[in-house]
Amino acid sequence: MLAAAITVWVITIAIVAYAAKFKPAAHRPALISTLDFIKPMAARLPLAILAAGFLGAILPRDFVALILGQDSGFAGIALATVLGGLLPGGPMVTFPVVISVIQAGAGTAQTIALLTAWSVYAFHRILAFEWPMLGWRFVLFRMLISIALPPIAALLAAIWAGHI
Amino acid sequence: MPERRRVHPILNGQVALFGTLALAGGIATWWLRGPDVFLDTLLGSGELLVMIIPIVVAAMLIGGYAQSLVPQDRVARWLGAKSGIRGILLAAGAGAITPGGPFASFALVVALARSGADIGACVTYLTAWSVLGLHRLVQWELPLLGPDLAILRLVVSIPLPIIAGIAARALVRWLSPWTPGRDI
Repeated sequence: MLAAAITVWVITIAIVAYAAKFKPAAHRPALISTLDFIKPMAARLPLAILAAGFLGAILPRDFVALILGQDSGFAGIALATVLGGLLPGGPMVTFPVVISVIQAGAGTAQTIALLTAWSVYAFHRILAFEWPMLGWRFVLFRMLISIALPPIAALLAAIWAGHI
Repeated sequence: MPERRRVHPILNGQVALFGTLALAGGIATWWLRGPDVFLDTLLGSGELLVMIIPIVVAAMLIGGYAQSLVPQDRVARWLGAKSGIRGILLAAGAGAITPGGPFASFALVVALARSGADIGACVTYLTAWSVLGLHRLVQWELPLLGPDLAILRLVVSIPLPIIAGIAARALVRWLSPWTPGRDI
């Protein structure tokens, strides 16, 4: 988190310094559009983060580990896709769940589907960031586009591992 | 985006919606998990917010400056609807190397979309950032999942952002009255 903050601020300062030296007229429109970005976020983002936190707290976590058997086949991949999309929280919450799923005997393809679905959907991230920042139309559109991605990754993994 | 509806910039329906969700989630957490988990979650969310505010502000500044420093026609040429497969590949590469959490990358997508990047490039960027993110691979997957699974996942994910971007461009034509990017 600190590394991310330092990285973005270094980039920001470099850009502002560049503008100050070569294009001072850019400051005013830049700050106006920055305020334009921030204003709608000011109330939405804290509430969205709070909502995502609470919903993450009430979702059952250990439940996921029980369901994905090794020979669950394409049904297991489909189930892993849905469950992966619903996994609450960031990597600190998700990786322990995924590790317990692997230890419980989930197949490689199912694990890949689970991880990929969590990566592209991350329900928690959609609620906290994507929806408030990009709007529900974009969210629905991206969700629709991405439905096939976890199964594609899982099938490629199954081919790679020689299961197909 | 042309023609943005002018409602009150801070208080609107979205705020009411997220407020209701937060309230309902809070009540359900207290009810199902008890006051301790409720307080932990409340404090955890506050902590997260305090940590991400400086990052979001910086990312928005980058977006604001990018918008006024980089000419719109150039963004449109590199990442717009007519940028072809080169635009998709560029967006995928940018997504894979963007470090850090969602706060920065979503803010950058807002800036890119307002500067002329099309929805295909935005979807490709976000998909690449989420499935190829090299930062997460090194920090989490290699140590926790081991190199075999981590690298397998990376390799099978390489085509995904490109598939998503091409599908987005194909599909958005059919949905044009509905314009998925209208709120950006």
